[in-house]
Amino acid sequence: MFIFTEASEARIKKILAKYPEDRKLSAILPLLTLAQEQEGYITPEAMIEVGKRLDVSPAYVESVCSFYTMYYTKPVGKYIVKFCINISCHLNGCDNLLEYTEKKLGIKEGETTPDKKFTLLKEECLAACCEAPVMQVNNKYHVNLTPDKVDQVLASCP
Amino acid sequence: MTLILFKDIDTPGLTSIDVYEKTLEGYQALKKAFAMKPDEVIEMVKASGLRGRGGAGFPTGLKWSFLAKDVFPRYLACNADESEPGTCKDRELLMKNPHLLIEGMILCSYACRIETGYNYMRGEFWEYESVMEKALEEAYEKGYLGKNIMGSGFNLEIHNHMGAGAYICGEESAMLSSLEGERGEPRMKPPFPAVKGLYGQPTIVNNVETLCVLPFIVRNGAAAYAAIGTEKSKGTKLVSVSGHVKKPGNYEVPLGTPIIDLIEKYAGGIRDGNKLKAFIPGGSSVPILPASKADVPYDYESLQAAGSMLGSGALIVMDDTTNVVSEILRITSFYMHESCGKCTPCREGTRWMYQILSEIQNKVGKPEQLDLLIDICDNMEFKCFCPLGDAAVAPVVSSIEHFREDYEELLGSLKTGQPVGTT
Amino acid sequence: MNTATQTDTVTLTIDGKSVTVPKGTMVVDAAETVDIEIPVFCYHKKLGPFGCCRMCLVEVEKMPKLTTACTLAAGEGMVVKTDTGKVEKAQQGMLEFTLLNHPLDCPVCDKGGECPLQDHTFRFGPPDTRMEYNRYPRDKATPLSPVITIDRERCIACQRCTRYSDIIEKDQALVMLNRGFQNRVATFNDQPYDTRFSGNVIDICPVGALTNTDFRFTARSWELTNASTLCGHCACNCNMTLGARLNEMKRITTRPNDLVDDGWVCDKARWGYDFTKSKNRIQQPRKQGQAVGIQEACAEVAASLKKIVEDHGPNSVGFIGSGYGLNEELYLYQKLFRLNLGTNNIDHKTYTDTPGLPVAHFDLLDVETSDLVVLIASDPTEELPILDLRLKKAVTQRGVKMIVLNDQQTLMDKYATLSLRYNIGSDRVVLAGLNAALQGQAPESNLEQATGIPADQLKAFADKIKTASKVCVIYNPAALSGGSVHTLKQCLATAGGLADTTVGALPAAPVTNAVGAMDMGVLPDCYPGGIALTESDAIKTKWGDTAPLEKGLTALEMIEKAKSGELKALVVYRCNPVVDFPSGHEVGEALKKLDLLVVHDMMETETAKLAHVVLPSNGPGFDEGTTTNIGGRVQLRTKGLTADNPGDWKIISTIAKELGQETAPKDVHAVTAEIAEKVNGYQGIKRSSIRKEGRNREGFPSMNRASVAEANGSGDGLVLRVASVLFSHDKILDAESPLAHQFQPSTVHLHETDADALGVQEGDEVRVTGNGHEVKAEVRVSNRCNPGGVVLPKVSDEQGVMSLAEAGKALSRVTIRK
Ligand SMILES: Cc1cc2nc3c(=O)[nH]c(=O)nc-3n(C[C@H](O)[C@H](O)[C@H](O)COP(=O)(O)O)c2cc1C
Ligand code: SF4
Ligand code: FES
Repeated sequence: MFIFTEASEARIKKILAKYPEDRKLSAILPLLTLAQEQEGYITPEAMIEVGKRLDVSPAYVESVCSFYTMYYTKPVGKYIVKFCINISCHLNGCDNLLEYTEKKLGIKEGETTPDKKFTLLKEECLAACCEAPVMQVNNKYHVNLTPDKVDQVLASCP
Repeated sequence: MTLILFKDIDTPGLTSIDVYEKTLEGYQALKKAFAMKPDEVIEMVKASGLRGRGGAGFPTGLKWSFLAKDVFPRYLACNADESEPGTCKDRELLMKNPHLLIEGMILCSYACRIETGYNYMRGEFWEYESVMEKALEEAYEKGYLGKNIMGSGFNLEIHNHMGAGAYICGEESAMLSSLEGERGEPRMKPPFPAVKGLYGQPTIVNNVETLCVLPFIVRNGAAAYAAIGTEKSKGTKLVSVSGHVKKPGNYEVPLGTPIIDLIEKYAGGIRDGNKLKAFIPGGSSVPILPASKADVPYDYESLQAAGSMLGSGALIVMDDTTNVVSEILRITSFYMHESCGKCTPCREGTRWMYQILSEIQNKVGKPEQLDLLIDICDNMEFKCFCPLGDAAVAPVVSSIEHFREDYEELLGSLKTGQPVGTT
Repeated sequence: MNTATQTDTVTLTIDGKSVTVPKGTMVVDAAETVDIEIPVFCYHKKLGPFGCCRMCLVEVEKMPKLTTACTLAAGEGMVVKTDTGKVEKAQQGMLEFTLLNHPLDCPVCDKGGECPLQDHTFRFGPPDTRMEYNRYPRDKATPLSPVITIDRERCIACQRCTRYSDIIEKDQALVMLNRGFQNRVATFNDQPYDTRFSGNVIDICPVGALTNTDFRFTARSWELTNASTLCGHCACNCNMTLGARLNEMKRITTRPNDLVDDGWVCDKARWGYDFTKSKNRIQQPRKQGQAVGIQEACAEVAASLKKIVEDHGPNSVGFIGSGYGLNEELYLYQKLFRLNLGTNNIDHKTYTDTPGLPVAHFDLLDVETSDLVVLIASDPTEELPILDLRLKKAVTQRGVKMIVLNDQQTLMDKYATLSLRYNIGSDRVVLAGLNAALQGQAPESNLEQATGIPADQLKAFADKIKTASKVCVIYNPAALSGGSVHTLKQCLATAGGLADTTVGALPAAPVTNAVGAMDMGVLPDCYPGGIALTESDAIKTKWGDTAPLEKGLTALEMIEKAKSGELKALVVYRCNPVVDFPSGHEVGEALKKLDLLVVHDMMETETAKLAHVVLPSNGPGFDEGTTTNIGGRVQLRTKGLTADNPGDWKIISTIAKELGQETAPKDVHAVTAEIAEKVNGYQGIKRSSIRKEGRNREGFPSMNRASVAEANGSGDGLVLRVASVLFSHDKILDAESPLAHQFQPSTVHLHETDADALGVQEGDEVRVTGNGHEVKAEVRVSNRCNPGGVVLPKVSDEQGVMSLAEAGKALSRVTIRK
């Protein structure tokens, strides 16, 4: 069973207050995000719970959830390393950098390290094109990357 | 030259309301606006010649005047979904000057008699959500938001709303779907958002940059803004210059600035001593142009005349070491990934093009495939449910038109290897 | 719609033809009216415009781009072209895209021969495909539920099925997952898609992606003989097509009739027809357990009845029919008992009701055109499923308001603006209170205490009726206790007298032809067409001087008299009193005392086991005749299969003939004609006039009855309410039914206060006892009814819940023990 923590409940209250009372479905993304923050990824039980809160079927929640790329429905690492691979980063050598990072972490794109610390993903344009190449580790941007900088960032992940 | 959006943008602490007020006459435009009737503000924005900076370039004041008459409540949805490849200007505004956006949203809301606004930020912008949240808190505290703002009798609530990873949610109707808690699929138009938008009510959707211009116009008058730029493309534009340049960055320039100046003067020229080969002037959704068009002035009309578009204002620069095909493949892969899948031509067409381009890129393509690509594009163009399909077509068609030799280079060589069928 | 004036229509030109259509009509539909086919995949009239498949692109003058005809409302003066080179190229392009990842396996696809994709490709498609890559890998046929197969490889993502689940069924059970070319139709966590109406997605899927698991590969569509028939389950009488091969039912599909089913059927219609081939059917007549010929059986029945009447008088024989018979069959039976045997011992039900209404008899479409629907004691979701869909549509798409008054929670509560729950058994008091409120009087002071409903809520209810302009009342007489149906009719009469409100009603007893059975006079106190026994002149004119005028016995009274030995012979037609009557466990003993028990039925039942003579009844699929649905609409049920036995009408006529009836109808349609001649309200009903979409019979005024309160049952304990369940495990849905996965365990629903008091918890196994009977059930603490009551869904014949109810009592009580 999935239960929102007390801290989450307080935030849910605030989130719901943003939308008209009969439009609470608007809170579906924020609620899924909260659920994901709590457990690292979104379980079917969490979808059932979110559905109950918003008065929609769990299938509906799964349908919405699966549309957006930032929700994970399988366990992921503690840190999610997302490499932008779109055009501006591509023109600035992100392919090599991604390969470098794959070697460094010993995993391929889409995989998680055995110690469950890092998950490495490709990402479409992150809107930091003028500072390419770019990656995001969890929610934080790291720009103007070089192999050295990648090393530093990864090393700074406790 | 006058900076409107980036004036003192790097002032330390600008994200705090006190610094904003001190440095940039922050929130001064409100007093002026509240002294006018809402319709007068709309007229003012019309007179300024401001056009939407999200991509379509639609005149902002005109859009506001399309709001369904006397239907309330109305909503404002600020489009901070910035996901068009090459574009990173809104992020800089959100990150460095959140109050400018809030002030702009207040002005728009007052003019359009809106009492609730949402700022839809792409999900990846979590770092800036806290910046915005803090700025909103400050604005409420100072009485710029909430009930009876500055004694004007005008009420406004603004909320942040985070997306969760979907380029299509930048398309206005898909954004409204997403904001209502649905899958981010675009909706039928008409009705347009100004008539039936968020929650079925009249809604204004404007881009971050568009809204950020408003304080200047209200403070300095429509004429001051209209004095900048060209006859039909007024004002300044933030241009994200990226790719093979020495100093990539967001630059604010008067519309009409020659592209070559953007590349040479602002972005420091092509790096590594190479030459300019190609550029995409307005984000991945617009046609690619060859170096020979580099003297085209950067404005809506000139770019259209040159066979491309200003789009979201992202100038992606490629030097002569580039084979354009690999970049077009990247972009096509992006559209395949971002197609919402609702309509058949976009869902199927983007993938088919990707498969063909992959073969060509891997040197196992066939010359007939160029005609096939053009025909697939023809079958998609203007036939998809929303403009994403057209966006996917533009780079492919234009690259074959202008850089056929890049394709031929790949097609003419090696004939061995494995076909790449599936992703 | 029916009063289309000049301003309600627009005229446009399509391919040079001028077309005038109601405003709001989509261009595709406008084209259809002049036989111009614009190909569609995603568009479906009942789902509304969506515009995702892009197949319907057309050229419209003054529009720079091609436009989808399914999303474009016809406009005045619009000039549309569907046959230009530009359009043809676009159509070919769209088909090419559609087919890119669709296997070209028509020869082995179940949809082959009736597939829009196949047809459109043939007509509008490209000559060949230029696709040379492997298709995106997707699952081939996998179960979406025990009865639906999904072949994701064939899905073209038109979203008809998922929109159906969202817009029509409104439970969002079937959804689109993922996005882009990876999207897929799915349920939550890949659970089975087993809703009550799931099968409709098979009919609307434009390709072979969703298929009927039961039907798959058992026949090709072109090998089927299709009968346009009606569903014989609930009293909505949905239109459907029965496809048969070699005289065996193969599948049921929808046959849209907007006036009845709005284009859908429930899963019981679709998969609940295996009874046509069940081994539990009564195959041939038998006498004392020995197979005999039809003629011999009929002669035996006639001779025995005749002898008993001669020995003991006409009132020593009786007939218990049911609403499962056709109008013709029921008409003939009552005629036989009245005219050939001379008794009014005729009935078809165990609850109180009389024919006729003090207000208009509304039809199903009135549900959508009213501004207020009042649902009383009815649970359409379980009892009249297609009405459930219609109500949801009315509320969510037409802005109709709904008030629900019931003693148990139902799924309709969610759609109601006001939902009132009365204590089980207190319906008479509630309705009297409502009547008072409608008349502007204060209710009795103990109202809330007696019913659980505060007086101000009942007043609010009455006010909503008073302020509405058109009110549609739907009530289930079978779920009203005691004589409270009369109180309800008094409410209707009061509401009908309101100045600015039009009021009509639908008597919504769930059995197939419940309304027809009333109309046909299968009643102890009423001749066909609502003629009361007191109207002796009318009766004599129509039925002759010997027509009996003495009130007959009700079904329950007949059982009583059988027990006491006063009733000697009983003919039971298409019902199973041993299981379905209150105190059912005692019915068997009573029937054993009869000198003659004749059971005329379709399936072997507990009652048939006791019969001296058993006669085979053909029933739905094999029979032909008319039924009258809850909206008073008379429709033709045709046969899709040929029976070995003569039709029921023939058997009844043969008995009548043996009893001396001189004329015999030459076929069943002659009986239909006789009904039109003899039965009030049925004048215009002819085979030809009802063939297409049926026709409303005219309603008749209700017989005014004072409300007589029936006595309550004895003992204390919780008040019992037996609830209907759509997929009940009975003779029709037997263990081999494709719907067996829908069977539910025996449960008892309690209010939490009672559960606490009894010390039982959710999931506990308990024994529910009452009326000298015991039923095992699992506890649900669901608050489905008010404290003091229990709800026991009738989930199977075996469960035997009806025995807990005391025959002839307004309420029965049960005790619950672990
Ligand atoms: C596929 C697609 C993606 C879009 N993405 C964005 C976006 O990320 N940000 C944005 O402001 N507008 C985007 N737009 C444009 C919006 O639909 C809309 O025109 C704009 O937000 C209106 O604001 P404006 O008038 O201020 O430009 C996109 C349009 C399309 C078709
Ligand atoms: S399964 Fe059939 S109805 Fe559903 S989306 Fe696919 S093609 Fe359409
Ligand atoms: S039928 Fe019109 S878009 Fe599908």
